[in-house]
Amino acid sequence: MATAKEELSVVVRELGLDKQNKATLGRLLAHGRLAHAEEGPDGRMRAQVRIALDELAWDPAIIVMPHAGDLELEVINDDDNTHCALFPSNGDNQFMWLVNHSRGTASLNLDGPGYYWFSSPIGNDEGRGLVGAIVVLGDVPQEARLDRPPQPQP
Amino acid sequence: MATEYVDAGRAVNQSTLSFGVGSAPPVARDVTYERILNARSEPQNWLTYYGAYDGQRYSPLDQINTENVKDLRPAWVFQAGTQGLHAGPSTYSFEATPIVVDGVMYVSGWDGWVWALDARTGQELWRHKHAIPYDVSLCCGNVNRGVAVAEGKVFVATLNAHVLALDAETGKLVWDTVHGDVRAGESATVAPLVVKNMVIVGSSGGEFGVRGHLDAYDIETGERVWRCYMIPKPGEPGSETWPAEGEAWARGGGNCWVTGTYDPELNLLYWGTGNPAPDFDGEVREGDNLYTDCVIAVNPDNGEIQWHYQYTPHDLWDYDSNMENILFELGGRKLLGHFDKNGYFFVLDRTNGELVRVAPFVDRITWGEIDADGKVTPKVYPENEGEPVHFWPGPAGGKEWTHAAYSPKTRLFYAPVQEAGSTVTRRRREFKESIPYWGAGVAVDLTDLYGYVGAFDPTNGKEAWRWRNEVPMCASVLATGGDLVFAGAPTGEYNALNARTGELLWQFQCGSGHHSSPTTYSVDGRQYIAVPVGWGAWTEGFLPSMLGAPAGDALFVFALPE
Repeated sequence: MATAKEELSVVVRELGLDKQNKATLGRLLAHGRLAHAEEGPDGRMRAQVRIALDELAWDPAIIVMPHAGDLELEVINDDDNTHCALFPSNGDNQFMWLVNHSRGTASLNLDGPGYYWFSSPIGNDEGRGLVGAIVVLGDVPQEARLDRPPQPQP
Repeated sequence: MATEYVDAGRAVNQSTLSFGVGSAPPVARDVTYERILNARSEPQNWLTYYGAYDGQRYSPLDQINTENVKDLRPAWVFQAGTQGLHAGPSTYSFEATPIVVDGVMYVSGWDGWVWALDARTGQELWRHKHAIPYDVSLCCGNVNRGVAVAEGKVFVATLNAHVLALDAETGKLVWDTVHGDVRAGESATVAPLVVKNMVIVGSSGGEFGVRGHLDAYDIETGERVWRCYMIPKPGEPGSETWPAEGEAWARGGGNCWVTGTYDPELNLLYWGTGNPAPDFDGEVREGDNLYTDCVIAVNPDNGEIQWHYQYTPHDLWDYDSNMENILFELGGRKLLGHFDKNGYFFVLDRTNGELVRVAPFVDRITWGEIDADGKVTPKVYPENEGEPVHFWPGPAGGKEWTHAAYSPKTRLFYAPVQEAGSTVTRRRREFKESIPYWGAGVAVDLTDLYGYVGAFDPTNGKEAWRWRNEVPMCASVLATGGDLVFAGAPTGEYNALNARTGELLWQFQCGSGHHSSPTTYSVDGRQYIAVPVGWGAWTEGFLPSMLGAPAGDALFVFALPE
């Protein structure tokens, strides 16, 4: 029996799919909190993401940027195990080593709308749940859009 | 008690955790428009997408020839692999054309990768990674067809429809211009073309009902110089080929996702355009649908269309005409040759677009017929809702986007040919921005397939020889002064054929299928053949019977023993 769409997160929680070694071995991707990056007076956006104890998950799992640009991301490992981070950024992916109880910073540039995955690319951290998304809202500049009347949306 | 954290510092570029050098020699500083104009006079290099503006994909290099090609072996291999999650995880493919300048190779990969490599050893000199959204609209896989190099910069179009200029010595960003609207379903996969002080870039997204365009950007600043739409607005020339009522024109497709050719004497760009949208439901877009499925001759100084020739008017079979228009001379005439998806080989007078000759280059054509005067008669097409129709060639075409070659030495064209049909059932759908807009269900044949490399004589359009393969041939061919034609197969073999007879002279199994455009160059007097290998992209469209074939991401470079 399928669930209604709005019940998905509830059912995922009830079944234990958002926990380690409950319904499945690991945790279903990107089930967790969402946080909005805050824009500073310098135009740079800032956010924080952490790895909680024994959860093998990013918290928040979804970081929302209100528009394309630069994101200063504080990264904290509160786990008793070592992980790392691989973030998307224009120019090159950004890598950070995260020993137990460590804290660092990643400077990211994402130049257009869409969502971008980040992860901990060691062992099978990604499979166990250490995958998150950075969501960039907004539109491309007006001059890059097609010269046509507004079109129907999905 | 507050946690005392270990300082993890700042995240670092992933490339610093590799063995890359981090910089390349300043060879690209001296790549000028004048040098690209005369690219064939420096055969040690492959300076521009097709090797030269004429699109011939021919190199005069002859160190590797019919006598010694049997000794060809890998000199080095470059592999990138993937890390983390990226767009199109099942469809990434290595489709690029390696550019080589004085011992440095510049090549793009899938998902925003660009590398500079030592062309003699394969050593990574630098890398650049553009962040590509996971959810970008891609009809045909996570691919990129190559870069352009000039004035110390490397130019690349990205899947999220940006155009970048990179410093050719460091790979660092010089400028970044937004080229299209990802929310509208646009993307970019084309290899840019440098002409004069501009970099010319087309758009992708024809399967999502966008309005195709070709743009020119200033190579120093990235500012747009002009934009030329492939679908005219109401009242503009060509608009009479679209329904007068409604907005079919606004979502009509005609994208320019393959690099064009250029005649500097006539000062004309020859750019192929893509299918109309929706691909298979012509009832919602009555008319010829200009400028879809055309070659357009464009003045690069202002982006104006000087003339056009439409290979498939009112396309109902997904027969894009993006594929190369190869410039050549015959009997004192300035001509162009084009192998179209519709199965016909066209020769046009490139001064005015007049048809000189048209002849079939595939064995099976059932969609319709084009007579010697160019008159098109459709025969089989998706006409009635829900009624399946089968036709040859299928939507991948008798030849896909991958390129033919022309040897001025043998005066023959060489084309990779696909013999595969398809069943299409018209299924009307409502247009919604960014959602696929095909107007049909499509099932490409899984059996009764084959392919070949064909040699064609442009004086009569007839086949001079063919080298037959068990499955369709889906990779660009390369012709050389050593009287060789190189062609990769979907089953992984890289083949060298005698350009005069089609005899198979050498073969190497690369471990994954070919869907790219190999090039040749030399360093310190040694000739190399560079072959990006990696099966993927829209395999469901051109060869679904090999959807389970091994993927790959290797750049093989072959040479004779030292």
